[in-house]
Amino acid sequence: MAMFSGSPYLRVSYAETNRILPEPYQRVLVGAVAVAALVLPAVGNAYLIYLLNLTFLAIIGSVGLNLLTGYCGQVSLGHASFLAIGAFVTAILANRYGAPVWQALPAACLVGAGVGFVVGLPALRFRGIYLAITTLAMHYAIIFILTTYQANFGSSATAGISVPAPALGPYEINSGRAWYYTLLLVSFGVVLFSLNLSRGYIGRAWVAIRDRDIAAASVGIPVARFKLLAFVCSAALAALAGSLGAYFTGVVTVEAYTLELAIIYLAMIIVGGMGSVAGAVLGAIFMTLLPFGIERAFEAVPHAWRLGTTSYGLQEAATGVAIIFFLLFEPKGLIEIYRRIAEYFERWPFRYRELQPAERR
Amino acid sequence: MELLVSILVLGATHALLAAGIVIVYKASRIVNFAHGELAIVGAYVFYSAGLITQGQSLLLTIAATAAISALFGVAIYVALMRRLVGQPTFVAAMVTIGLAIILKAAIVVVWQSKSVGINLTRQTLYSFPGGGRLTLVDVITVTCCIAFFTALFAFFNYTRLGRQFRGAAENPLLASQRQVNVNLILALAWATAVFSASLAGVLFGSRSMLSPQSTIIGLSGLTAALVGGLDSLRGAVIGGMLVAAATYITARLIDPALSEAVPFAILLIVMTWRPWGIYGTPEELNRV
Amino acid sequence: MSPPLARSNPLLEVRQLEVVYNHVATAVQGVSLEVADRQIVAMIGTNGAGKTTTLRAISGFLPAEDVAITDGTIAFDNRPLAGRLPHDISRRGVVLVPERNKLFDTLTVQENLHFNLTRRRREIRDKVFDYFPRLGERKSQIAGLLSGGEKQMLAIGMSLVCEPKLLLVDELSLGLAPIVTEEIMGILQNINSQLGLAMLIVEQNAAAALRVASFGYVLEGGRVVFKGPCAQLMEHQDIKEFYLGGGEGKTRSYRDLRQYARKRRWWG
Repeated sequence: MAMFSGSPYLRVSYAETNRILPEPYQRVLVGAVAVAALVLPAVGNAYLIYLLNLTFLAIIGSVGLNLLTGYCGQVSLGHASFLAIGAFVTAILANRYGAPVWQALPAACLVGAGVGFVVGLPALRFRGIYLAITTLAMHYAIIFILTTYQANFGSSATAGISVPAPALGPYEINSGRAWYYTLLLVSFGVVLFSLNLSRGYIGRAWVAIRDRDIAAASVGIPVARFKLLAFVCSAALAALAGSLGAYFTGVVTVEAYTLELAIIYLAMIIVGGMGSVAGAVLGAIFMTLLPFGIERAFEAVPHAWRLGTTSYGLQEAATGVAIIFFLLFEPKGLIEIYRRIAEYFERWPFRYRELQPAERR
Repeated sequence: MELLVSILVLGATHALLAAGIVIVYKASRIVNFAHGELAIVGAYVFYSAGLITQGQSLLLTIAATAAISALFGVAIYVALMRRLVGQPTFVAAMVTIGLAIILKAAIVVVWQSKSVGINLTRQTLYSFPGGGRLTLVDVITVTCCIAFFTALFAFFNYTRLGRQFRGAAENPLLASQRQVNVNLILALAWATAVFSASLAGVLFGSRSMLSPQSTIIGLSGLTAALVGGLDSLRGAVIGGMLVAAATYITARLIDPALSEAVPFAILLIVMTWRPWGIYGTPEELNRV
Repeated sequence: MSPPLARSNPLLEVRQLEVVYNHVATAVQGVSLEVADRQIVAMIGTNGAGKTTTLRAISGFLPAEDVAITDGTIAFDNRPLAGRLPHDISRRGVVLVPERNKLFDTLTVQENLHFNLTRRRREIRDKVFDYFPRLGERKSQIAGLLSGGEKQMLAIGMSLVCEPKLLLVDELSLGLAPIVTEEIMGILQNINSQLGLAMLIVEQNAAAALRVASFGYVLEGGRVVFKGPCAQLMEHQDIKEFYLGGGEGKTRSYRDLRQYARKRRWWG
């Protein structure tokens, strides 16, 4: 099977330019990954499955943030608060009102979308750093409200709200493997959703707004509406991630949703590559597995226990180091490394590709 | 009376923190999110330097900390910020966030997140009726603040280098064509900013215990800078006083637990009502 | 207009300059030019001919990413200029009046001129107000609020305060009314004759530039296609047709205007 369809730069129809996986080699690659993902629980151990479950949750969140910050260019430090909202709404509905998962989950997403709308309103006024600071302030406001709630209505001030395992009919999802397939399905759906958004009018409008919002307005894109839409979609996806996370961990505490978490999500899309769904996925995998990797590396070094808190400190610092490293040396992220390699093979034996505007998906 | 003094002292610390953020913003339009961490690390460095000299020579400790802070500021610029030429300022802000994370972890690693206090002096100058005390440390804090701001104000408005600062901030390309070594100016800005952060940290540490969690004062500093205007030193002073007043009054008269939320509340109010602050220059903010 | 001086070593000497964008697009190919002492040299050409890139290369000022001088030398006063930092080149006496971002918009006129003021330069600053009396009337106005012509005047004034030995003027007439362009060009000529300041003027408005300069280069597609004393250039058939809007005298129908199909005469 030919891996390359001739020149990668010649497309003969709009449908072709919009294909998610235009080249045969890409389809083969994705197919292989898909098969591996489906088969993995049969061969992997429980720890690996647990890590991958965490990764899937992160993917849902990071793809959501990518819609807002990567495509639409709205810097948001409030992602953790959307996660918290999703988690708390789910916990409250499931715990106090006994709502089943197929009610609690959509409700959480709706509430998240509503909060996203409110948080997005300042975006109509600011850009860049001032928007980041405003979302920061919103984050603290939301967390403050949730902290007060938890202090007054939780089972104790710090223990949080417990969440029963989700049940779909007679099937209860409470094993690592069950979670694996559920989360795999959901994250696949989210990725597909995001790709479809990016291929369509909405995605293009977002990118136009990101690049030059005044020019976008002058060609007829309703900028305000789309900015708010970006916030709403991103918050809804984050609420979804938070809600699933609540079911997964079984207990919801507000202390878990810190500003550091929001920064970790931003790091995911920076490290992976902003404005690209594949980048968001890669970044999520990288940032989730990084602390575990460091821990393992430390265990491998003999006499590591002598360094005391160094390992812990390094895990803490890892996010910061990753952010700085990628911003300084590879600002377009991991996905760019992949692209460079792929393009080398695509255009071989030519040395340089022709100049093209970036069209990332 | 005691209320006023307390607010003045707290405001001085906030103003110093805000000043560091303003200097960096004035020079390069970058918001430094690592300022709180820099302040606390500076305080820890002072503490360790004091330990090394066994408390004998205050002057040596001060000199060492000042030198280390200034050099660290230059290092931040040369190693990190200079490589971000041409990228949007959001990218540089993210780098400072990364730096903040690393610094906070460094406190954990180097000082094992011990809670320490800096013992400059315990001398009480005056006791208020009703329980409060005015210590020598308070007076030193306010004096340092006044001296620092006066020096900075004179520098920016009356010296050639200060004018070049402001020009380089707005248009580094043009400044560079007008024979100004922009690298030097930015390195100087960062050195001064980190120095002022350490100063604020040390003064803070003389009155409260230091721990990795203390880095939250950075948020108060940022709020103060925003309230006053990110590119206004005058605003840093006013903003510092306002934030300090609000925090202190809330803590004393309303509810101590609520006082933690005060900076965020002020942040929200400022962003809604007047985002460029009281004395800041309104930039291209109000565009949809 | 003084004739080009046959000096053995010109003030600015550019030899075979080649500038490449992103490894693939050659903006400037083998451009050589000279500016003698006290001379005004004009560089004309259409959009995309490589004029601004040449100026930027000379002033050390190519954009940070992926533009490189791949060949050629630039020498000022017999010392090499390529590879130096912009503020260094500026201090040597090669000062650029940029096309965009030419002022500090948030500072006042006065502060703009004071930007790098030393005691010695105060006289020059006063002279600037003599050359541009309109600026004198607006000393404390914020520079961003000046009119286009006044902004250009202020930009030139700022460059003068830097004590240049060679002034590089990039697209002075962009966005200016013809009458204002004439005025400023005239002032430049005054400055040249009174201060003896050499200038390299890059212009799309060929007529204005050739009237003021003594020697001219025509750039097309990144190459120097023609050069000569301005009097000669202004009489040349092709320049008149393609740059000055003159014609061959007969009525033009659209078919006669097949400019882009016809080969220029200077190609042989």
